[in-house]
Amino acid sequence: MLNIEEIQKILPQKFPFLMLDRVLELEPGKKIIALKNISINEGFFGGHFPGMPVMPGVLIIEAMAQAAIIMLCSPKEGLADSKAAYYLASVKMRFSHPLTAGDQLKIEVEPIKIISGAGLVKAKASAGDKEVASGELSFSRKNG
Amino acid sequence: MPDLENEIRNMIAEIVEKDPSQVTLDAKFFEELGMDSMMALEIMAGMEKKYKITIPEEKLTKLTTLRETVAVAREYLEKNNA
Repeated sequence: MLNIEEIQKILPQKFPFLMLDRVLELEPGKKIIALKNISINEGFFGGHFPGMPVMPGVLIIEAMAQAAIIMLCSPKEGLADSKAAYYLASVKMRFSHPLTAGDQLKIEVEPIKIISGAGLVKAKASAGDKEVASGELSFSRKNG
Repeated sequence: MPDLENEIRNMIAEIVEKDPSQVTLDAKFFEELGMDSMMALEIMAGMEKKYKITIPEEKLTKLTTLRETVAVAREYLEKNNA
């Protein structure tokens, strides 16, 4: 539904901090399903951990946050604004399964409450049929 | 009518990480309980979910004490039942 070129036009985050490769489903303001393919070439695997590649949980949260940004400023809504700054405010997250090279991370985000300049969303991460993490994020947005 | 005051007090106490006894009816959220605007949003969303109501954004600035917050919840609960 959105390829990596389109994702890069929306997200203020850039290489090497793009945590999504593709958007599968997008209902602007209502729902998003996005993917990240995890390769052994990921920079973080060098240190997290030597001999045991585990994707850091905080980066799963980052992938959820990036999906939330795309959900809230889809180009179709005419709201795309890569100059806006997003500040994570709170995270309530439970992790249930580790991710490693070769896994495909699937992120699903839905809004709980969105107001101008801030939002609270529900997010779920899975790989195959396993749930990886689920919880809630809140963030504020300042227009650039 | 559920015991709105105590339910909302407990919800607020959990969000600001204080003992419910500190969330008195008139304790000021921002000055006395260390709340910020993002926590206020969480309270608003929490009440919406718990009571199946929708509270408009402009009410966010009304959430300054437990007394005011309960009044907002009651207003929208009554609208739902009307």
